[in-house]
Amino acid sequence: MRQAAAGAVSLAAVSTFNPRARAAGSDTIRVGLIGCGGRGTHDAGKCLQSSPGVELVAMGDMFQDRLDRCRRSLTEQIPDKVKVTDGTCFVGWDAHKDVLGCDVDLVILTQPPHFRPAHLKAAIEAGKHVFMEKPVAVDPVGVRSIIASSELADKRGLTIVAGTQMRRISHLVEAARRVHEGAIGEILGGQCVRFGGAMRDWGPKQRQPGWSDMEWQLRRWLFLTWLSGDFIVEMHVHDLDIVNWLLDAHPVQCMGMGGRQQRTEPGYGDSFDHFAVEYEYPNGLRIDYRGTQMDGTSEPHHQRLVGTQGAIYSDFAGVVIEGQNPAQFGRDQNDPCLKQHADQITAIRRDQRLNEGRRIAESTLTSIMGRMSAYTGRALKWDWVMNASKLDLTPPSYELGDLPMPPVAIPGKTQLV
Amino acid sequence: MVASSVSRRGFLKASAVSVAAMGVTNRMYAAGSDTIRVGLIGCGGQGTRDLISCVKSSPGVEIVAMGDLFEDRLKESLDKLRQEVPDALKVPADKRFVGFDAYKKALATDVQAVLLVAPPHWRAQHFQAAVEAGKHVFMEKPGGVDPKGIRSMIQTADLAKQKGLSVVAGTQRRHSKKYQETIKRIHDGQIGEIVSGQAYWNGGDMLGYWKWWDKESRSDMEWQCRSWPWFTWTSGDHIVEQHVHNLDVINWALQGHPEQCMGMGGRAVRNLGNIYDHFAVEFEYAGGVRIASMCRQINGSTDRIAERVVGTKGVVDVDRGVIMGEKPFKYEGPDPDHYVQEMADLIQSIRDGVPINEGKNVAESTMNAIMGRMSAYTGRALKWDWAMNASKLDLTPPKYDWIDLPVEPVATPGKTQLI
Repeated sequence: MRQAAAGAVSLAAVSTFNPRARAAGSDTIRVGLIGCGGRGTHDAGKCLQSSPGVELVAMGDMFQDRLDRCRRSLTEQIPDKVKVTDGTCFVGWDAHKDVLGCDVDLVILTQPPHFRPAHLKAAIEAGKHVFMEKPVAVDPVGVRSIIASSELADKRGLTIVAGTQMRRISHLVEAARRVHEGAIGEILGGQCVRFGGAMRDWGPKQRQPGWSDMEWQLRRWLFLTWLSGDFIVEMHVHDLDIVNWLLDAHPVQCMGMGGRQQRTEPGYGDSFDHFAVEYEYPNGLRIDYRGTQMDGTSEPHHQRLVGTQGAIYSDFAGVVIEGQNPAQFGRDQNDPCLKQHADQITAIRRDQRLNEGRRIAESTLTSIMGRMSAYTGRALKWDWVMNASKLDLTPPSYELGDLPMPPVAIPGKTQLV
Repeated sequence: MVASSVSRRGFLKASAVSVAAMGVTNRMYAAGSDTIRVGLIGCGGQGTRDLISCVKSSPGVEIVAMGDLFEDRLKESLDKLRQEVPDALKVPADKRFVGFDAYKKALATDVQAVLLVAPPHWRAQHFQAAVEAGKHVFMEKPGGVDPKGIRSMIQTADLAKQKGLSVVAGTQRRHSKKYQETIKRIHDGQIGEIVSGQAYWNGGDMLGYWKWWDKESRSDMEWQCRSWPWFTWTSGDHIVEQHVHNLDVINWALQGHPEQCMGMGGRAVRNLGNIYDHFAVEFEYAGGVRIASMCRQINGSTDRIAERVVGTKGVVDVDRGVIMGEKPFKYEGPDPDHYVQEMADLIQSIRDGVPINEGKNVAESTMNAIMGRMSAYTGRALKWDWAMNASKLDLTPPKYDWIDLPVEPVATPGKTQLI
C-alpha cells in the first residue's frame, strides 16, 4: 500500500520532470548516506522506498562496524536499490567529504547532531540536496551555521528537508491548519509535555578495551551534550517544533530548570533526565514545556493550546478541539517518514523550492535555549542566544584520543556563554 | 495608632466605631479587660517575628506563654522580644515551656490566642490541640507535610467554626490590600473566563535564612528538628514550606483547588538533608484549566516570585496588582505590611467576635503543594481525590523522643513509592 501511494506520486513527478535537477541525464536520484547508525539506516531505507528511481550509491560513518551493519541491513531489505561498492564506503572523520566527493545528488545527514552544521555546509557547498535529521545543532554557533547554509541552498536551488516527520502527520497538519485559521481564537496559554523512558537499552553498555575516550563518547553520543544537545534538543525538538508550528512563531525568551535525579550512572555522560522550561512567545504568551527521560513514571505526552474560543489537544495519535469549533480526528495510515522523502524526491525532480533549514534551525535553537537556561539557571532571550551567545561545544580536536567526560551542569554555577 | 492605620477593615467596620474603637482603647487601658493574651508555640525566627508583628499590629496584646522544643531557642526568642516589644512581654519563668509537650502546657495557660509556628510537621496536631482547648489560632503556613495532616487540619478547621474561634494562616498575601483588590476583580469577571496561569518561587538557596545545624553529638532527632527546613518529614520540602504562598494565591484566584497534577523535580546543586532544590508541576483545575508551577532554591539563578492568571479578556500579574486587557487596572493604594495586617485582622476578629477561618484555605493550598511534591518524588501523575482521601502517606517518626532516626533517602522518581 505504501509502495502504491508512493508510486502514484512519482508517476506524476516523472511527467513534469526537470532535467536541471537531475544528475547526468538520468532520472535516477543517487543518494549518499552520511551517518550509518540506527536512524541513518531507517532514513535511508525510507528514502529508497519512498519513490521509484532512488538508489543508495555511497555510505560514510565514523566506524567500520556501524557502516557494515547498516550496509548489510539495507542490502537485505532493499537489495535492488543498494548500489554501494566497497569503493564508495568510507569511514573516519572525513567520511562525509568522501561521500560528497562521489557522484551523488542527495545526501542524508544522520551523524550525531554535533556534526550537522559542518556536514550541511560541506554538502551545500558541494551542490548536493540534503535530507538531515533533527536536531540540526547542539549550540548557537551551529544554529547560525545551519541558517547560513540554508540560505546558500536557496541561492543554489538545492532542497533541504529536515527529519521532523511530525510536520507530515496528516492529523497534525490539519490541526495546524485549523489553529492558523483561528479555530481556538487568540492563543492564551499552552503546554508541551513529554515524559518518557530513560533509553537504557540504547547503545553499547560497556566500554570495550581499546576504545579511546573519544570513541566511547561517540558511541554513547546520545548522552553527551556536545554530541546530542541533551534530550530536550535531541528528542524533544519534535515536540517543541510542533509548538512553534502551531503558533507560527519562535519564543522570545525562556526560563528553565532541570537536573538528573534517576539516570545518574556515569554511562549517561552529562545528560540531564528532566527539564521544565517556560517559553514566552510574542504578546506575552507563555507555554509550559516539561520533559523527562526516566523509567517508571507516568508518561503523559502531548501538546495543548488554549485560546479565547477553545482549546486544542494533540498527540501522535490524534487531535481534539474543544470550544466554539469542536472537532476530533485521528491518525491515518500514511507514513510521514516515507512522505518526507517522497516530497523531497518530487521537489528535486520538479525543481521545486523546498527548504526546511531555517525552520528546523529555529526549533533546534528553541530546544537549545531551554537547555542553556536549565543548565545555567538563567532566564534567556532569543535574540541574545541567536545573535550573541558564543557557546560552541566543539572539542579541542577530532581525534580518537583522550577526552575527559564533561561535568554535569550545575545551575547557578555553570557559566552562561 | 498602629491599629487604626493598619486595620482598614476594622476602621471601615466602625461607622459607630470611631467611638467604639475609642471605647475599646479606654477600657483596655483602664481595666485591662480588652487585653488579648497571646501564647507562642514555636519560638524560632519566624515565630518571634510573627509575635512581634502581632504585638505591633494592635494595642492591648500581651505575650503570656511560650513554648518550644529547645530551651536555647526559647531564650533567644525571649531576648529578641525584650528588645522589640518589652512592654508586651509578660511571660514569667513558669510560663516558659520546653520539650515535645511544651505546646500542651502553653495551651493549658490562660492564653486566648496562640501562634502556631513550630515546624510544619507539628502544625496539624498543634492546631487540633489549640482548637480543642478553645483558643483562637494564628498558624504559619504550610498547614502540614502529608495528606494525613491535611485531613486532620480540615476537621479541626470545622471544629473551630463550630466553636466560633478565629483561625488566621500565615499566607499573608490574603491580607494584602493589593492582592484583595486585584483578586476581587478576577472574581468579578473582569478578565473573563480563566484559562491559564503560572505560579513561581524561583529564588536562592535559603542558607542565610534556614539554619543548618551540624550533627555533632546531637541525637538524630535533635539534629533533624533543629535543621527542620532541610528534611521532608519536618518541612514538607520547599515546594510545601515556601511555594505554598504562590499556590495559595492561585487557589484564591480560581476559587478552588486542583483536580490533578503531574510534577518533576530534583536536587541539582544543594545537598543538605533530603529535600529537593527544584520542582516544576502542572496543576489542573476544574474545566481543564492548567497552571504551571515552578519553584527553585538555587543561588545564582534567575529569581522570579510571582503569580499570574490569564483569562479570555485579560491577563493579571497578581503580585504586582496589575491587570492588562479589556479592563486595565493597577492597584495604587496603600498596601500595609502583610505580616502586620494578618495579625491586625486576627486581633480585630477576636475583639469583634466575628471569627475569620482560613483553616480550610491553607489546608487545601498545602495539599496542592504536598501533591505536587508527591508527584515529583514518585514521577506519577496524581488526582486530588486520591491524595486527599486515599493516600496513606504519613511522615510521623516512630516516636517523639531523642531517638535514632536514619535520614530517609532523597526521593528518586520512578523508584520512590507512591503511598
